[in-house]
Amino acid sequence: MTRRKLDEVDKAIVEYLARDARVSNGQIAGALGVTEGTVRARVKRMEEEKLIRITAVTNIDRFRDATLAYIWIEVERSDQTRSVAQALAQIEELGFVGVMLGRSDILAITMVRNTEHLAEFVHQRINIIPGVRRTDSTLGVNFVKHDYRMARIVA
Amino acid sequence: MNNLAANAQPALIELDDTDNAIIELLRRDGRMPYRAIARELAITEATVRGRVRRLEESNTMRVVAVTDIEAAGYGMLLAIGVQVENRSPEAVARDLAAIPEVFSVNVVVGAQDVEILVVARDQPALDELISRQLAGTPGVRRLTPALALDVLKNQPDWVPFHDPA
Repeated sequence: MTRRKLDEVDKAIVEYLARDARVSNGQIAGALGVTEGTVRARVKRMEEEKLIRITAVTNIDRFRDATLAYIWIEVERSDQTRSVAQALAQIEELGFVGVMLGRSDILAITMVRNTEHLAEFVHQRINIIPGVRRTDSTLGVNFVKHDYRMARIVA
Repeated sequence: MNNLAANAQPALIELDDTDNAIIELLRRDGRMPYRAIARELAITEATVRGRVRRLEESNTMRVVAVTDIEAAGYGMLLAIGVQVENRSPEAVARDLAAIPEVFSVNVVVGAQDVEILVVARDQPALDELISRQLAGTPGVRRLTPALALDVLKNQPDWVPFHDPA
């Protein structure tokens, strides 16, 4: 999974798009002194190669009942890690699923309303996946930072 | 800083079905033209334009480019539990949030006091980040890291808004 790294022109374009992606290709081109066609082609290529994703993000502060939950998952047998992680990735409510080295086998992150909602989610959606041995959940009390300009972009 | 409470926030707005439908379409494709959104939802282009402006000005939604961490030059992603001593977890969390490689910071309850997600270019950079920057932050007692071998999903839709440095 080795991806091309962005060159200087790519980075300059992304810098504009990271602030406000609704800015037109023409505006970016004018600011950078390149043609509009260059900007359009670069953006298209970066999106196709999954180097960037242009998307709407919404402010968690607008939903006061949303709390972040870290769910650490241990599998029965190590050869089940991949299949459990793949099943987890299908769950729409999970925003992050990673196979981990250390602490536990898999980390999944989601938003819940409260502890009851977390318990219900873990019991009904995670514990039923074949291969899940045990889970250990941590509830957030203050979501201080998330740099939304950075993520692992998965095909 | 990154603490939302410190920022003056515009008034909350009520979202209706049209707002939510527009947000959904822009989540899938942030550069979808207003005209195409209008056609999809059977409303006028002016309505779409006005709604998007209202969502942005009220600090409810932003349409942004998200860069892949590997394309940005970061080869490693870790989830690190932080135990705090002699300082409030909130204060330590704010200091950790100021480090660019620390891209997510949560004050939590449980065995750890703060959970962070970090990226590093390579192993020497990771050593520098963990051994010096994170361990050297006042109030940090112990760091318990886990390295991501593979990330199968990472779609942070709901996030705290802070102004990028």
